[in-house]
Amino acid sequence: MNNENEFTGADILLKALKDQEVDTIFGYPGGAVLPIYDAIFGQNFLKHVLVRQEAGAVHAAEGYARSSGKVGVLLVTSGPGVTNVVTGLTDALMDSIPIVCISGQVPSHLIGTDAFQECDTTGITRPCTKHNYLVKDVSKLSETIHEAFKIASSGRPGPVLIDIPKDVQFAKSKYVSKKDINFREHRIKAGSKNVDKNFVEELVNHIKKSERPIFYVGGGCLNSGHQASRELIKLVNKTNIPITTTLHGLGCFPGEDKSSLGMLGMHGNYEANLAMNKCDLMINVGARFDDRVTGRLDAFSPDSIKFHIDIDQSSINKNVKVNFHTNTDITLTLKEINSFIDSNNIDFGDKDYSNWWGQINEWRKKECLHYEQGDEVIKPQHAISRLYELTKQKDTFVTTEVGQHQMWAAQYYKFSKPNRWITSGGLGTMGFGMPAAVGAQMANPDSLVVDIAGEASFLMNIQEIATAVQYKLPIKIFILNNEYMGMVRQWQELLHGSRYSESYVDALPDFKKLAESFNAVGVRAKNISELDDTINEMISIDRPVIADIWVDKKENCFPMIPSGAAHHEMLLSKYDKENPENQEKGKVLV
Amino acid sequence: MSSTSVYPTPINAFKQSKRSVLSVIVDNEPGILARIVGLFSGRGYNIEALNVTVVDVKKNLSRITIETLGEEKVISQIIAQLEKLVPVHSATNLANLSESYEAEICLVKIEFENEEQDQKILNFADIYRSRTVQKRQNIVVYEISGTSERINKFLDDLDTIGGIKVELVRSGPIGLGI
Repeated sequence: MNNENEFTGADILLKALKDQEVDTIFGYPGGAVLPIYDAIFGQNFLKHVLVRQEAGAVHAAEGYARSSGKVGVLLVTSGPGVTNVVTGLTDALMDSIPIVCISGQVPSHLIGTDAFQECDTTGITRPCTKHNYLVKDVSKLSETIHEAFKIASSGRPGPVLIDIPKDVQFAKSKYVSKKDINFREHRIKAGSKNVDKNFVEELVNHIKKSERPIFYVGGGCLNSGHQASRELIKLVNKTNIPITTTLHGLGCFPGEDKSSLGMLGMHGNYEANLAMNKCDLMINVGARFDDRVTGRLDAFSPDSIKFHIDIDQSSINKNVKVNFHTNTDITLTLKEINSFIDSNNIDFGDKDYSNWWGQINEWRKKECLHYEQGDEVIKPQHAISRLYELTKQKDTFVTTEVGQHQMWAAQYYKFSKPNRWITSGGLGTMGFGMPAAVGAQMANPDSLVVDIAGEASFLMNIQEIATAVQYKLPIKIFILNNEYMGMVRQWQELLHGSRYSESYVDALPDFKKLAESFNAVGVRAKNISELDDTINEMISIDRPVIADIWVDKKENCFPMIPSGAAHHEMLLSKYDKENPENQEKGKVLV
Repeated sequence: MSSTSVYPTPINAFKQSKRSVLSVIVDNEPGILARIVGLFSGRGYNIEALNVTVVDVKKNLSRITIETLGEEKVISQIIAQLEKLVPVHSATNLANLSESYEAEICLVKIEFENEEQDQKILNFADIYRSRTVQKRQNIVVYEISGTSERINKFLDDLDTIGGIKVELVRSGPIGLGI
């Protein structure tokens, strides 16, 4: 039958992507997706970014999504194409990043026969996606794609995978557009649309009563959109309550504001962790009481009344029992809190928490982020501080890899806007930052995008530098090169008698020559006198740049709550002695 | 009552652990059972018994009944996690309903030695209103339904009557809120 209203599965996919306003897709071709690649060849609305390994595609999609607020999309082939994205899908699930992964599958009649490049894609990706589909019937394809985008971006966002057998890509059916789909509400899990007035009233009453309140803000605030940040800023300014953010919450509230205590948690600020420990009212805005944040649970903020705003009901009372909670979207809830305060003319003017701020300022005097920069060797903290000073006038996007450099970036780079900070938090994926920078640069072609990296992480997805070169993406890879897996070495020092088992990265490439071999640009700073010039040079070059910054090899990341310890048991420097009992307990933790 | 039963009665593995029966309504689609079972194994929860059937052909719905063990906090977390699964309409802890009814069905195959023993087993089964569903030579199959505890008791008492239990099958509990 030849009906002009019918399209092949591959064409339906492209129509649906257009309908979803997708303009960029990251991918890598292979046998089971050739019909889709053929359809991509014949169109011009969609930019395809050819990565060098599928892991690069999924991290690029994450970087694209985080930096743009849109859904990131990738396309991979069956078998190894899919297994290569498992890490990235898990990463996106942990960090609530909306992505849609399209994968090819062997033709339907070969499924289950151990065919070439066949794997049980939906089986393998079931625990690492928010939802996944195997489309067996082309007539269901349009609806499936539209539902996938809806699920990926609704409620607590996450990755969704659609597996399409090759015969379904060839088979024909009608296309159903997005506006003609009736989504079934129970499948979308968008959270409640109604603000819990009782929650709002209780919260305001508790704010009035409290002596030592604190806002504890996480990535949920980011996912709720820019309006959530604006409402949060309004509320903080109105109430004069101190605010600390998680790793993913950085940027939801201006990092240089006087009310900001910076990041909390394992490598968070002393004042932030002490304030969490001593507060009498905790207002959790889209954070999930992660173990990196809470430290030892039985000593976590023992005297506080806890309020929790989180669209994901499974985050409520999972790790920490709270007194009040709501599953409504953060923007809606914060808006209601602000208007409740305004309409009832509640004035917090006399309630300036001066004793509380006095105490916090005492803690601040510890200067937990202090370091001594000498005249020769570059301190990694100083490298980040200088990078911040020299880039803060621009609208800069920062991605990171995972390890010490990531924590230093979180501590010393200050973010004033949401979506400028793109890092792998929950899963802690080394090799995330460079492909994520590719994605962020695709979404923000005119902005400065810097991947703050360690040399070990960078090597994990080194191939993607070719992607950046091919698409003329002027990303900057700022390597804090200490020749060690620094965080591994730090833990070995703390917990394993400084036995540096396999944490020294021997036989490193010459990163400058490496950059040149990829037709990128390499720059290097070997000592403090070269640092600023190198950073400025890096920024000024309109091409991908690898900046090899030689830093102090022995520097460790402080302050630190050793694992198994509580918020008030922070180590401020390597001269701080840890409680040996904690040390034994901490050894078995991660 | 039958906490000493030799049959798999959920035991209190942890002090605060409670047996709960969860009733889950789902879209009947491929992979839904795998999603639920994967959720339990991945997050370290136990499944003591599991029952799945289509309950509404028109709306394409299945009801999955899961017997599990855990502290109240854990059970609430299981329910929250279940409700996050896309095809799940609702997940209910039957114990949280003001009233609910639970039942299970069991088939037990018994080999008897002689007529006298057969009659003795039949009389015993009658007390439990268990009925004979199949009989062939010296093999008889009884069917009993009721709460899991009642079935445990039946099986325990059966051991004292004589005859050899060859094999048995249980559906696991199912239940409804009333």
